[in-house]
Amino acid sequence: MLVALLLPWPARAAPRAGELPAEVSLKDGRIAARLDLSPALDPPLLRRLGNGLTNVVTLVVVLRPAEGGPPLAVSARVIEVLYDVWDEAFTVTVRDQEVPARRASVRDPAALSAMLAGQDLLDLGPAVALVDEPLVLEARLEVNPVSSELVQRTRELLSHPGSGGRPGAGSSSVIGAVAGYLLRHPGPGDDLVLLRSRVLPRPGSASP
Amino acid sequence: MHPLVAALAALAVAAPLAAPTAAGPAHAGPAAQPPAPSAAPAPVASPGPAAPAALRPSTEPAPAPAAPTTEEPPAAPRAYSIEQISFRGLERVHEWAARRHLTVGEGQILEDQRVLVSRLRLLQLGWFSSVETRVEKGSARGQVVLVFEVVERNTLLVTDLVLGSTGPQAFYGGLGLSQQNFLGQGLAVGGAFVYGGAPAGRPADPARFAARASFDAPDVSLGRYRLVAGVSGLLVRGEELTCPEADCQGYGGRYGDAPRLRYQRVGGEARVGVRPGPFERLTAAWRLERLSGAFLPGDGAPFGALPILRDGRSLLSALSVTWEYDDRDDLFLPSEGLLAVAQVALSSRLLRSDYEYSRYALQLETGFGLLGRPLRLQGFVGVAQGDAPFFERFYPADLSYFAVGPALGRAMELNFSSDSRYAAFAAMAGAEYAVPLWGHGRFFQRGYLALGARTVWSSGALGGRRGAFSSWPLSLDAALRMDTPIGTFNASLGALLDNFL
Repeated sequence: MLVALLLPWPARAAPRAGELPAEVSLKDGRIAARLDLSPALDPPLLRRLGNGLTNVVTLVVVLRPAEGGPPLAVSARVIEVLYDVWDEAFTVTVRDQEVPARRASVRDPAALSAMLAGQDLLDLGPAVALVDEPLVLEARLEVNPVSSELVQRTRELLSHPGSGGRPGAGSSSVIGAVAGYLLRHPGPGDDLVLLRSRVLPRPGSASP
Repeated sequence: MHPLVAALAALAVAAPLAAPTAAGPAHAGPAAQPPAPSAAPAPVASPGPAAPAALRPSTEPAPAPAAPTTEEPPAAPRAYSIEQISFRGLERVHEWAARRHLTVGEGQILEDQRVLVSRLRLLQLGWFSSVETRVEKGSARGQVVLVFEVVERNTLLVTDLVLGSTGPQAFYGGLGLSQQNFLGQGLAVGGAFVYGGAPAGRPADPARFAARASFDAPDVSLGRYRLVAGVSGLLVRGEELTCPEADCQGYGGRYGDAPRLRYQRVGGEARVGVRPGPFERLTAAWRLERLSGAFLPGDGAPFGALPILRDGRSLLSALSVTWEYDDRDDLFLPSEGLLAVAQVALSSRLLRSDYEYSRYALQLETGFGLLGRPLRLQGFVGVAQGDAPFFERFYPADLSYFAVGPALGRAMELNFSSDSRYAAFAAMAGAEYAVPLWGHGRFFQRGYLALGARTVWSSGALGGRRGAFSSWPLSLDAALRMDTPIGTFNASLGALLDNFL
């Protein structure tokens, strides 16, 4: 075990985090947000979006008080990105409660990055939900999220018949090892980015 | 209009917040001070210390009306054909062993969902730490190559790590290893041993030890059936003290003078089964063991009840049927799902056995969330009828976290304590609450604190009075459990306490 401790084991993936450039405003009595998702769009993610398969990017934006507390407003958007290997073009489809579906096509990854980075005018709900204190915007960007139902469908019993012993037969010690199984379902940290904005003043109040 | 602008305009969901500029990007505002990204300007909050947002008071002129939003017709679905499936990154795993778990095949139409399912199935084999998929151009338009890029992971696990010390055995220890992907073909090979040396006070006696080895094929495809097969071997050389009292107090710590049953078991098991469903396994096994037993009276003092084993040589031949069901969501820290194991074993002279008995066992475990953390409920019931040898009965200390008394949980069915009382009936009920501690370590990848409580009821004979293996009806435990690339480890206060009680 001491030798094993010295080996360079890769760390289990943790969600990436970063700062979210964002602004919040009021429009027709509703809260609207503009986001810059470029901190999340690193080269590995852009390469994955160009893998030739339909990639689903879910964006959930939450507005909450800067000092903590329950969310004041939430909005979600689903972006599908498909790179056609033969047409050599990206097709981007955006869906949210405002727009059922909007589709656009770009040729190069730079244009794709620019398109994905500028997420604007997300409707976060009625302005009456705002409180009279500074706010923060939090964005959760997940690429190809896997539902628990799908994980359940693809899982199987993998422990080997001889590994667990007979029921009722124990083996205990101070430093005991229970059978190590390899079942690993994809965790949410594999393609997850969490962004948080700086403190934003309440829309409609004077800037400090 | 610049193509990028046209594309961005197509994504606009409402009128711009600022006064629109005719030629600029739709979402730029006059008060915004963006640290623009490389490709195009975007509205961002100023990076100054107060990070002021652009304010839009209601007295501003009303913005231009939003462009009408209409749902665009869905794009024509692709109909690319998979010309070839390619694996990259395989070093030990055989490609055919990985291909068996795909839900896509060459010649089929490329479907994103089926590719995703295939990726998940490969990940859940436990052979790979990473599985990425991508599509490349094939030899002609309409043809594509589906590529699975994998990173193999370690499949050699520690299954047992035993350390202990008792009065009859000053020190014992053991280790178990299992290769979960033997030869890269999804086979499993394992071995374990426990060694204790000569018993206390009898340095010339043979050492106590146990060793087992197993080989399993957990997923053998035979047409549309999925079979399970395996063999295992066992060698056990041990001793059971037979003092009148369970703690041998009459010998004042001179365990070398105590009467004992010295025995040896050599044998093996062959098993075959089917997989009725993704979470089920039904196996039948035949076990054959050559037994030898010898009673040693010690210094001639009175002795207690002997554990059941025929004097001299005997043969045990038993058939068993085991049904397993396990759909827990996580074997290290399950928060939902059910584990159920039911086993019936029969031994009879019809099978050329010297023992006539039947053994029944049922183990259940389920998990759910309580206050946002996993709570597991555990249960076990076992019955042994007839003249089952003592090791075919139930040792109550195996089912509890600790025993207040001389009994100590066995190691690979070797009993190093002075208590040799085995039960014909045993039942256990318990609960374990998990407090997750960390989740993204490098070697100690995950860890949690397990707080458990168990109660065990046992009787030496069916319908008999409750056995007194422990003077406390309840046992508690606080254990640190850690998930590592080489197995799951458990540092248990209950097990530590058991060595001293």
